[in-house]
Amino acid sequence: MTDGPLIVQSDKTLLLEVDHDLAGECRRSIAPFAELERSPEHVHTYRLTPLGLWNARAAGHDAEQVVDVLLRYSRYAVPHALLVDVAETMDRYGRLRLEKHPVHGLVLASSDRAVLEEVIRSKKVLPLVGERVDRDTVAVHPSERGHLKQVLLKLGWPAEDFAGYVDGEAHPISLKQDGWEMRAYQAEAVEGFWHGGSGVVVLPCGAGKTIVGAAAMATAGATTLILVTNTVAARQWRHELLARTSLTEDEIGEYSGARKEIRPVTIATYQVMTTRRKGVYSHLELLDARDWGLIVYDEVHLLPAPIFRMTADLQARRRLGLTATLVREDGREGDVFSLIGPKRYDAPWKDIEAQGYIAPADCVEVRVTLTDSERLAYATAEPEERYRFCSTTPSKNRVVERIVEQHRGEQTLVIGQYLDQLDELGERLGAPVIKGETTVKERERLFNAFRTGEVSLLVVSKVANFSIDLPEATVAIQVSGTFGSRQEEAQRLGRILRPKSDGRTARFYAVTARDTVDQDFAAHRQRFLAEQGYAYRIVDSDDIGDLGDLSKPDAG
Amino acid sequence: MSDTRSRSLADELRARDDDALVALLRERPDLRTPVPADLAALAARATTRPSVQRALDHLDEFTLQVLDAAVALPDRSTVVAIQQLVDHDVAGALDTLRRQALVYGSDDDLTVARTVREIVGDPAGLGPAAEVALRGYGPARLAGLLADLDLASSGDPVQDARTVARHLSDVPLLEALLATADTGVHEVLAALTTSPNGRLGRADRPVGRATAQTPVEWLLAHGLLIAVDATTVVLPREVGLYLRGGRVHADTASEAPSPVLTEAPTERTDHTAAGAAATFVRLVDDLLDTWASDPPKALRSGGLGVRDRARTAAVLDVDQEHLNFLVEAAHAAGLLGTGGDIDEVWLPTTIYDGWRTESVASRWWTLASGWLTTMRVAGLSGSKDNRGKVLAPLGPDLARSIAPAVRRDVLDSLLALPPGQATSTESVRDRLRWRTPRLFGRLRDGLVTWTLREAELLGLAAGGALGQHGRLLAAGDDDGAVAALEALLPEPLDHVLLQADLTAVAPGPLTGELAQRLGVLADVESRGGATVYRFSDASVRRALDLGWSAAEVLELLAAHSRTPVPQPLTYLVEDIARRHGRVRVGVASAYLRCDDPGLLSEILADRRVTTLRLRRLAPTVLAAQAPADTVLTRLREMGHAPAAESPEGDIVVRRPDARRTSPPRRLPSPAPVTELPTTVLSAAVRAIRAGDHARTVVKRPAGGMGGPPSSPTVDVLALLQDTAATGETLWIGYVDAHGQATQRLIEPQLVEGGFVEAFDHLRQEMRRFAVHRITGAAAIDQPVS
Repeated sequence: MTDGPLIVQSDKTLLLEVDHDLAGECRRSIAPFAELERSPEHVHTYRLTPLGLWNARAAGHDAEQVVDVLLRYSRYAVPHALLVDVAETMDRYGRLRLEKHPVHGLVLASSDRAVLEEVIRSKKVLPLVGERVDRDTVAVHPSERGHLKQVLLKLGWPAEDFAGYVDGEAHPISLKQDGWEMRAYQAEAVEGFWHGGSGVVVLPCGAGKTIVGAAAMATAGATTLILVTNTVAARQWRHELLARTSLTEDEIGEYSGARKEIRPVTIATYQVMTTRRKGVYSHLELLDARDWGLIVYDEVHLLPAPIFRMTADLQARRRLGLTATLVREDGREGDVFSLIGPKRYDAPWKDIEAQGYIAPADCVEVRVTLTDSERLAYATAEPEERYRFCSTTPSKNRVVERIVEQHRGEQTLVIGQYLDQLDELGERLGAPVIKGETTVKERERLFNAFRTGEVSLLVVSKVANFSIDLPEATVAIQVSGTFGSRQEEAQRLGRILRPKSDGRTARFYAVTARDTVDQDFAAHRQRFLAEQGYAYRIVDSDDIGDLGDLSKPDAG
Repeated sequence: MSDTRSRSLADELRARDDDALVALLRERPDLRTPVPADLAALAARATTRPSVQRALDHLDEFTLQVLDAAVALPDRSTVVAIQQLVDHDVAGALDTLRRQALVYGSDDDLTVARTVREIVGDPAGLGPAAEVALRGYGPARLAGLLADLDLASSGDPVQDARTVARHLSDVPLLEALLATADTGVHEVLAALTTSPNGRLGRADRPVGRATAQTPVEWLLAHGLLIAVDATTVVLPREVGLYLRGGRVHADTASEAPSPVLTEAPTERTDHTAAGAAATFVRLVDDLLDTWASDPPKALRSGGLGVRDRARTAAVLDVDQEHLNFLVEAAHAAGLLGTGGDIDEVWLPTTIYDGWRTESVASRWWTLASGWLTTMRVAGLSGSKDNRGKVLAPLGPDLARSIAPAVRRDVLDSLLALPPGQATSTESVRDRLRWRTPRLFGRLRDGLVTWTLREAELLGLAAGGALGQHGRLLAAGDDDGAVAALEALLPEPLDHVLLQADLTAVAPGPLTGELAQRLGVLADVESRGGATVYRFSDASVRRALDLGWSAAEVLELLAAHSRTPVPQPLTYLVEDIARRHGRVRVGVASAYLRCDDPGLLSEILADRRVTTLRLRRLAPTVLAAQAPADTVLTRLREMGHAPAAESPEGDIVVRRPDARRTSPPRRLPSPAPVTELPTTVLSAAVRAIRAGDHARTVVKRPAGGMGGPPSSPTVDVLALLQDTAATGETLWIGYVDAHGQATQRLIEPQLVEGGFVEAFDHLRQEMRRFAVHRITGAAAIDQPVS
């Protein structure tokens, strides 16, 4: 009892000592029910949450297994109260079931009458259910399936959905594995998703989430609606699908601000879906335009609230969510669980890196000392202006110039939040700037030029945060961001994680202003990545010359 | 006294041998203090209401069931009759009852002490005997009933009632009668079997076999139900017994329910309990440490306010109930008390300082043994008292004298479990309830639940079984318990794992010094078997504020880390150190400001200002340690003309001190009822016998009009009780309300609470006499008519 790799804390965190002999075995055992919270170099932290435990129940694990794993690997005694709590929490899942009923269509049934009584007396559930079929069953309006699941989760009695899925309109799709192969973890992810019916697959940026989507479509063999963040991402999906699957140009439609095509496989943007005209979502008919067999949500951590509401009505269709970080800055992880589905697959970044599928990265925070006059101006700035002021301070520009100079010849991205700053940097560096107002055509042209190496330096705004595939980018310099957003930081690092042809290490610079809120926000932004095992080195702007060459991976 | 009457209890006791009397005094301790003067006094005391209540309270469920059966029968019943009503061997239980003088007489001539009958009332929810219940019927109605039952009326209501009762006791007859009844009748009877009273409109309506319509009317017509007044019908005892299959209780609880057992591997229980023990000690330490610098106010009533509770629970990350127990346990161990200068606040006591330096195991022992003996019940906090006031933890109303004994009982039940087995709260509760069902009220019920929960929080037990240290503690081996816990707790470590995300993980308990230093340098993020620390600007600054240098911090980290200190951490420490102390804040009582630096130099150079302790902060500013008015006076004495400035900008100094108070006065634990050695009891018995002998040789005061009788109060009381049972007439001397000595002839009915309810022949009415005003009493041989 005193030599296990796991330490179970009373606050429901699990600490896994990674250097322990049994660490790998233990990790595999706890992964199904515990959420990886952070994975720095020595001790990984997992957390037992109701969502995680219910996820495990959804995947067929029971409380006894969980308790057994905890006891088997635990170094110290596991608090008794925690074991009781685990058993009780897991026991709550599945007490309520959504089922098909020959007469009433959809019903909510329970093996525990008291629980059913408790929930249908709740004010929030009452309007969602219909008449009482018998003492253990109550009818549910089919349109409220998603909403009901959301409400039940909030009440702490998540319903298991046995009502099944419609197959949708069949449309054969197959993967074209010529010269490439599905990676093991991608296949596992698809398997995990398909087995569960609906759910979310979490993979690091650059680990090939599109392939997972394509493989899921092939498995479904049905018409598919893909929801993506923006038009460029939509084009990229289209490009990938053409290259990787049997789909042809005619079979893939784009439904965006520019084009409104509805084809067997349709790629739509969040923006067009959430466009309102006179207070009405004018493109909702797309959801019913075809009998979709599968709906894919790209970057599910960004899913806007209206899409959640629309998704509530799509509970009879299979749903696949893809993301790199399930961290939502708005804390709506519970909605993702109840509406899209439980997490079906998760792989730590460093594992994928170790397999060579994403490039190793070296993260550096460069601290810029403000000049005296800048400090005075910062001190007197209005509180709401402070972040903008210090993150766009002119001293940064000089530092960025020096970093760019140092990496001349390498494909470099400068990423920022504020357009004035980006414009000025573009001018000083003589590089093209891509921002929101840049036309899609122009964006594509510039990205293509960057891919071919014709252009080696791009200044981009947050439009390039997501889903932009720039395989050869090796250096990213972040000059400002959306305050303390952890997932933005992760996404931006993701831009340079495509494995390089020469296997070189990517480098990510975050330029911050010393002793200001910029520095505090940066610390918060870095937490997710630090927790994934990316160690930031911190250097003074004066010392950037000493960082060494990228071809020589150095230990932080 | 005629022979047909059963002997009085005093006579019965007189016939017992010394051993039997010793046993009585041992089992009913309240009878022996003070030692009664003689056997009559002993008998009188043994039949007082409080004493009988007390004796019954300590009987187990089976003995009480046997007693119920005895009460269900008339006096002068037999063992065989009782055995039939219980359907189990009653010899043992009956011996207990006889030993305790609750029942007396030989096996075929048993008498239940009168007070016992009064207290038990209708036993086991049976109705009154038919003979009693029928007293409400007039002669006509009785005759009608008899006619319906095909019985002849004798014309005497008492005789008729007896006839009906005999009829109802005839089992084959009842069986035959009920076989003809419809299902409605059986339903009514089934409902009345356990609760014999039924409410019914016009219960006294005249019904006959011919006119009966409803099942209830059918039952009334057959005497199976008896109307006792206009709204109540009752199932007579005879019928109730028949319906219960001839037994008083449906379930005979001949033995304590056996514990419900579940597997609980000993090793796991030991370690889990030890882990909980360490956690509890840590939480108490955290609690007191928090309160030392930021003590909560004591409510005027002495308790802890709602807001302070919520705040502290949040700091410690425990729930409310857990917190209540923590503060009460700290208080019981003498670590927490009230003190303070202006407002009463809760503070750690001086004992706390010593306690902190002890090992985890001995700290745990202090807490656990304090808990075992305290009368205060943490579980009561949050509930409401009779007046609807919410009881606050640490408040005055939480003490319950039975708490230590119940705790003991609960631990003993756990101790009695076979090794490797655990049990449930319900099981422990059921067993304890069987042992003393009359005592087992809401408080005991709660105490059992709380004791088990608290034993788990305190780490004596885990999952319904005692850990090894808990076993030893419960068995009274304190040193063994401490040693066992010591052995179960993991060895303290002297290293941590430092990580680039600015955390440090201590994969086990740390040595005291390292834990304390890390606690300064970083904030604790997660606790348990391991501790996770997070370094932040604020935490590093805190260390620097305490006078550490960056080099010292890094040295400490390097010395206790098995891996190199991560670069971000080094950077953080150095960065904070770089900024630390650039702005300096000091304390001054006054300042001197002057546009002319020369003048300030002149003042500074003057010898007369040394007591002001001036210091130059800037060319034009001096700071003084002396108060402003002293500075002003001194400067004026020196011939300057200083002007006072408004006090704004003065720095108020407040140094938060860890404060202490003196330990609380411990509430004395209730003195346990100790077993007296037989020799002492025998001596008591000898004394009683001697007194008895002396009394019986003295001639009883003669009856007649020769003056009011006079006799000792004990005799008076015994005589009153005896005659209350027999209905004889007594001649008493009585001092009336005007202090006048009078003589009365009375027929005592009930002796209770220092008064005698009696029929006064002088006044021809029922009167109450105060026993202490009765100067003497004597029996009169001839009843007065």
